[in-house]
Amino acid sequence: MPGDAHAAQRYRSQGVCKVSETLVEFEVRGAITIGVIKAGSVLDAMNVSQFGAQVGSYVRQNTGLRLLLDFHLVEYLSSAVLTELLRVNQACKEGGGELRLCALNADIKKVFEITNLDKLFTIYPGPMEESLIKFARSLSIAAEETAWSHVTKE
Amino acid sequence: MTKPFFVEQFGSTMDAVGPVLQAALRSLIEHGWVEPDQKFYAQLCLEEAIVNAVDHGNECDPSKQVRVEMAEEGDICIIRVFDEGRGFSPCEVNQPQLEQLNGRGICLIRWCMEIVTYDKERKCLEMRMRRKGIDRKGCAK
Repeated sequence: MPGDAHAAQRYRSQGVCKVSETLVEFEVRGAITIGVIKAGSVLDAMNVSQFGAQVGSYVRQNTGLRLLLDFHLVEYLSSAVLTELLRVNQACKEGGGELRLCALNADIKKVFEITNLDKLFTIYPGPMEESLIKFARSLSIAAEETAWSHVTKE
Repeated sequence: MTKPFFVEQFGSTMDAVGPVLQAALRSLIEHGWVEPDQKFYAQLCLEEAIVNAVDHGNECDPSKQVRVEMAEEGDICIIRVFDEGRGFSPCEVNQPQLEQLNGRGICLIRWCMEIVTYDKERKCLEMRMRRKGIDRKGCAK
């Protein structure tokens, strides 16, 4: 085994990098699915492709998914994660659904601001339960507006 | 440049990034450049720079080397990441379009660090930060 592979093995055995674990746990709550990121506090270049594959696969299997990703356990992320979130967002939109984010810590929120992605994603500042209510309310309002627009056209 | 307090060289595989990143972070903390509980932005810049060198610079070719060096000059910490790729100019990397997938790493580095330059001849990305300046900037929240 070459030196760097030895080092990577040591890195994993120290528990710093948990590549084989489920990174996101999904729970359906009415019209919205919550995805709690359980990445052992770190989303970085080591586990980002697993994160993207897992969430992307779930989104493609569930057309029209309204997904709320809960970041409250995530202490760190790199730009590679932003790329995966953009892919997930695109997959959600293609399936007629949407992705929203909540419970980002201040540093992670700053990363979204620096990269202007706070303008692309709907990000709720509060915890998951509070964000879930706001997400559900916005869906009801959107549904009402659609219904009224049909009435107006008639 | 004064004698580096950290030097690490490795073949360009993504598996090798983690250990080098953690070792570099530990070294920054040990030398008083970053507080242990405020390492977010230092970790971010190191990771973005090292991943860029491995992935975009050396195209994950394990026979090509990436070297990370860190040295101090007074109140400035100089972080250099060398690769064997074609090189780029950080000034020419613009903020990506909103839905563009890549290109945000260098923007994040430019925001966090005092000075960011790329030496095309030596194929070296150089980042300069002031002692704990990166934390203060990051913590302006």
